[in-house]
Amino acid sequence: MDATNHAGAVFGALSDPTRRRLLETIADRPAATATELASELPISRQAVIKHLCALADAGLLDRQRTGREVRYRVTPAPLSDAVSWMAEVGGQWDDRLNALKGHFDGDIPGPRGEV
Amino acid sequence: MTDRIERELELPAPSEEVWEALTDPERLAGWLAEEVSFDLRPGGDASFRDGDAVRRGWVEEVSPPDADAGEGRLAFWWAGDDEPATRVELTLEPAPGGTRLRVIETRPLELLDAIGMPLSGSGSASFGPELVAIR
Repeated sequence: MDATNHAGAVFGALSDPTRRRLLETIADRPAATATELASELPISRQAVIKHLCALADAGLLDRQRTGREVRYRVTPAPLSDAVSWMAEVGGQWDDRLNALKGHFDGDIPGPRGEV
Repeated sequence: MTDRIERELELPAPSEEVWEALTDPERLAGWLAEEVSFDLRPGGDASFRDGDAVRRGWVEEVSPPDADAGEGRLAFWWAGDDEPATRVELTLEPAPGGTRLRVIETRPLELLDAIGMPLSGSGSASFGPELVAIR
């Protein structure tokens, strides 16, 4: 795969917010299994596996089989600078915009009748 | 290649009110960073603090929402210590239930570096007014 195609595959894999979140979660630790990730994130194990495959196909994750479990870890790729920037900065904006949205939603009385 | 992040958010408020949330330091402190100061004019200084992390930058464009069209835009550059500067563009436009806010953050200096323009690294703040002049 040449550099341009590789970049396309990487950015395609990262265009999905769930996949970005998975990648960030895995990047925080040495390795993770689909079962661990599914128990920590609000995603089914089946969906986790599907997303992990997309990330691995783009060369962003490495698979390592140990016994019955497959462990995934983040690959240090040539594009890792751009990739980590997009994951980090994208995550920061998600947090900021959630906070901003919270301020506006706060103007409307919530269904639980906040005290 | 320019690294680029794009996000969109719809807010249940008119664009004037959203604009205030983007430009009033007190309201900005609720979401953009813990402490924000903006000199709201092209070339004006900006600083953003989150805990010990401080970003500095400058304002590129300040276009409050147009009374008729309801569109507005705020663009600024920011950079932490030893980081290349990135450009943030916040655009407002009317949406059925209120206002659509679009955020685009780009890291175009890598591209300029690649063609030999020495823009990143120390002294990055000094090119601000020059870029404004080019526009």
